[in-house]
Amino acid sequence: MSLKAIHIVFISAAMLMCVVFGLWALGEWRAADGTANLLYLIGSGVGFLALAVYGWFFLKKLKNVSYL
Amino acid sequence: MEIPYNVKSRPDTGLYNAKLGIWLFLASEVMLFGGLFTSYVVLRVNASAENWPHGLLNIPIGTFNTFVLIASSVTVVLGWAALKMNNFARYRKFQAITILCALGFLSIKSIEYSDKFTHYEIWFKDGHRQTGHIHQDGKKAWFWNTKTLAGAPAVKDAKGNVVKPASPPIAEFEFSPDATHYSDAAKHTKGEPAAAEHKESAHASGEHAAVKVKTADIKRLSAFVPAHSTYFAIYFTLTALHGLHVLIGAVVIAYIWGPGAKLWKTNPEQYVNRIEVSGLFWHFVDLVWIFLFPILYLL
Amino acid sequence: MAQTAHDTHAHAAHAEHHDHGPQSFWSKYVFSTDHKIIGIQYGVTALMFLLFGFCLMLMMRWQIAYPGKAVPVVGTLLEKLLGEPAKGGVIAPDLYNVFGAMHGTIMVFLAIVPLAFAAFGHYVVPLMIGAPDMCFPRVNMASYQCYFLGGVIMLASFLIPGGAAQGGWTSYSPLATQIPTDGQTYWILGMVFLITSSLLGSVNFIATIIQLRAPGMTWMRLPFFVWAMFVTAFLLVLAFPPLEAAAVMQLMDKVFGTSFFLPEGLFVGGQPADHLSGGGSPLLWQHLFWFLAHPEVYVLILPGFGIIAEVIANNTRKPLYGYRALVYSVLSIGFLSFIVWAHHMYLTGMGTKISTFFQTTTMIISIPSVIVLTCMFISLWGGSIRFNVPMLFALAFLPMFGIGGLTGLPLGLSYVVLQLHDTYYVIAHFHYIVAPGTIFAIFAGIYYWFPKATGRMMNATLGKIHFWGSLIFMNLIFQPMFAQGMAGMHRRMYDGAATYSLANGQDVIGALSPGIIKMNINITHAAFGLLIFQIPFIWNFFHSIVKGKKVTGDNPWEATTLEWQAPTPPPHGNFAEAPHVYRGPYEYSVPGAAKDYTPQNQAP
Repeated sequence: MSLKAIHIVFISAAMLMCVVFGLWALGEWRAADGTANLLYLIGSGVGFLALAVYGWFFLKKLKNVSYL
Repeated sequence: MEIPYNVKSRPDTGLYNAKLGIWLFLASEVMLFGGLFTSYVVLRVNASAENWPHGLLNIPIGTFNTFVLIASSVTVVLGWAALKMNNFARYRKFQAITILCALGFLSIKSIEYSDKFTHYEIWFKDGHRQTGHIHQDGKKAWFWNTKTLAGAPAVKDAKGNVVKPASPPIAEFEFSPDATHYSDAAKHTKGEPAAAEHKESAHASGEHAAVKVKTADIKRLSAFVPAHSTYFAIYFTLTALHGLHVLIGAVVIAYIWGPGAKLWKTNPEQYVNRIEVSGLFWHFVDLVWIFLFPILYLL
Repeated sequence: MAQTAHDTHAHAAHAEHHDHGPQSFWSKYVFSTDHKIIGIQYGVTALMFLLFGFCLMLMMRWQIAYPGKAVPVVGTLLEKLLGEPAKGGVIAPDLYNVFGAMHGTIMVFLAIVPLAFAAFGHYVVPLMIGAPDMCFPRVNMASYQCYFLGGVIMLASFLIPGGAAQGGWTSYSPLATQIPTDGQTYWILGMVFLITSSLLGSVNFIATIIQLRAPGMTWMRLPFFVWAMFVTAFLLVLAFPPLEAAAVMQLMDKVFGTSFFLPEGLFVGGQPADHLSGGGSPLLWQHLFWFLAHPEVYVLILPGFGIIAEVIANNTRKPLYGYRALVYSVLSIGFLSFIVWAHHMYLTGMGTKISTFFQTTTMIISIPSVIVLTCMFISLWGGSIRFNVPMLFALAFLPMFGIGGLTGLPLGLSYVVLQLHDTYYVIAHFHYIVAPGTIFAIFAGIYYWFPKATGRMMNATLGKIHFWGSLIFMNLIFQPMFAQGMAGMHRRMYDGAATYSLANGQDVIGALSPGIIKMNINITHAAFGLLIFQIPFIWNFFHSIVKGKKVTGDNPWEATTLEWQAPTPPPHGNFAEAPHVYRGPYEYSVPGAAKDYTPQNQAP
């Protein structure tokens, strides 16, 4: 598996972590209603989108590099 | 004597030697961290809610550090891609950012560590517990534990020279307790006002005024060091081992970036292979952090 | 052709090839990156450790047979070296524990695995697959150096105040971390080096076998030895790291006062351990330890299988029976060995459901092991066997490993373990696997490949004396232990349970009969007999290096595999010209062929 392949795995894992973080922040916010938790919630959403956009760019740019 | 497939890929496996080697090494690393993650699960399942600290780590700093590492992985790949397109200068720039990110991560981590080493928990003999800071002569006290309070005789070497002067026993000290204790959250069900108050104050916690604490009232005293609880034990073991990997990865990448770059002139293909192999290791290190962050900071 | 003899042409071709120039002693023998030198370094160092571990056991055997009497010959030396624990040359209980723990550790991690896996693997595997060297020669060198350092740390720990580790080779917590001496810390540090060493080595093996096979050397043309090494290397790569994790945690427990493996409410020496946080799990250590240590059992035996397969095929002059069955068996052993570990833990209270699961997998793993042994037995059928020294050891290996394996089956059943757990029965079982099993395979391998490595034969008469003496005395040592174990003799009692039974009288349940206790003395005599019969081997080994009969060709055993087609001893870079493989590994007595063996690189 090349650097390209593991990078895709890594970006997916990072996106997954953003989802987990967002869900956690949502739970905390509903339980305790702190502004910090709302910021985490928004931040994780932004992070998720940013990573998705980057991942798409990355795939387009390195179209010619093998996955192996 | 030339070892085959050191640079070129073997046709039937599609791999050059170092790539296979690093993947096998990473397989063993997966098992190493796997063993520790499993231990985390076992320890956590066995622990009672009051003895598994919550909310003591700084989430904004942890989040920031997570994004530092994600950014470093991105720059590693971009640097590698630039080199594949023969753009050496661009590679140098990206990889410099990677190294800076690694160093940034380590410095932030060390600040987090020192924060913990000066933060204390006291188990009083009457059964209640408090967290807070200890001040001695106006300075923060480091690494105290129950034994520190008892004092210690001077340590002398074989010739009778004093290596470490005697420390007198401490009968009373200044303690600034935190507003809440982490086990409070476990006592209240979610949604109740008390829990809300705890959540608010956990991070931006206003300290109460300093009080005098008598040693005679204390059952146990510990800073947030590995010996404090199994949570901090596994926290420090995992993050220190991960930090060691970050350090090694940064040193290797810096070597290839700096003095090792001569190889680009003589054998560019092998040089690109080295970038790829070090990049694979770096991705693994970052991937470990992606898992570490939620289990240690959030859950 | 290169396989017929060691002609001058091959040498000339090689000399041009050899662009390293003259090497100094240090770079050639000490900091060598040549896989053959590293293999020999491993072999010689590990043989020393084998002898050392054996001597530790002899002293323990003396103590068991003659409790409280001074150790003969080395008693005063012991007292001088170790001081109080060996006062008057008598082994104190703590020292007995030290010897017990270190005998296990040294034999497993510093002697048998480095010999069977590292020494033979490093020397033979690249030659067998037709490679010029291993994939990463410098990693290879680092692997030996880590091993050496680990060994030095283990040895040094004998001399620190309080002596070496006393917690048994399994180092169960809380015992191991609560003993107030520093031996355990040294043990853990030594283990970290040994683990690193075997990781570096086995990554290198796997990469080499996958990447550097000569053209035409397809997977099903690999000699069985290479397959065995391949699976063994995978076991090491995947099973050792969890132990490394556990070792790190135990180090934290020992040095930084954490409680990974220490439960709440622990009492040490009658005092509550209040300064500890508690909350850890002693079972966690056992799981992590046995997750390594059960695959480790197969690490001990699989290289043995490999060596024996080569020797048998060569000396029966016919193909190995069921080559494919052997390969698939060894692969399934490798896989299954990861899911049987908790059969070492039936009595820990982990629950009957878990016990049943591991009992089932344990029974399943015996199937491929039996297939391997059966294939080797059937390989003998109809062969015209040459009874040379390697073959004698190989032939003895089969029934001896059979005894060890079959006596292991009852130990896989949780209700039988109620009686047999931690008794001498267990000791007898695994020593039958390792001593007349793996060690015999190692001896077979040494006698077999010695001419390739040195260009000289070992003396056959001395070899036969060595063989018969070892065979007889090994059985005299381990056979009575089955009886002792079934009678209930506990494996860790330092005076062989004599005081226990005498103090309680014969009517007490669990007291051992005088007959059982008297066996201790017989076993000890047999152990000294075994020592005496190793002397011919030691002499033979070193004497033959300089004075042994010179081999006349590159292929004294008339073997088919590639290592015998290389020059003798193989130079740096191995083959005069890169070999090409045309056929399977065991083409012996092929009908219609010119000779009764056809080397793998002989063009059709």
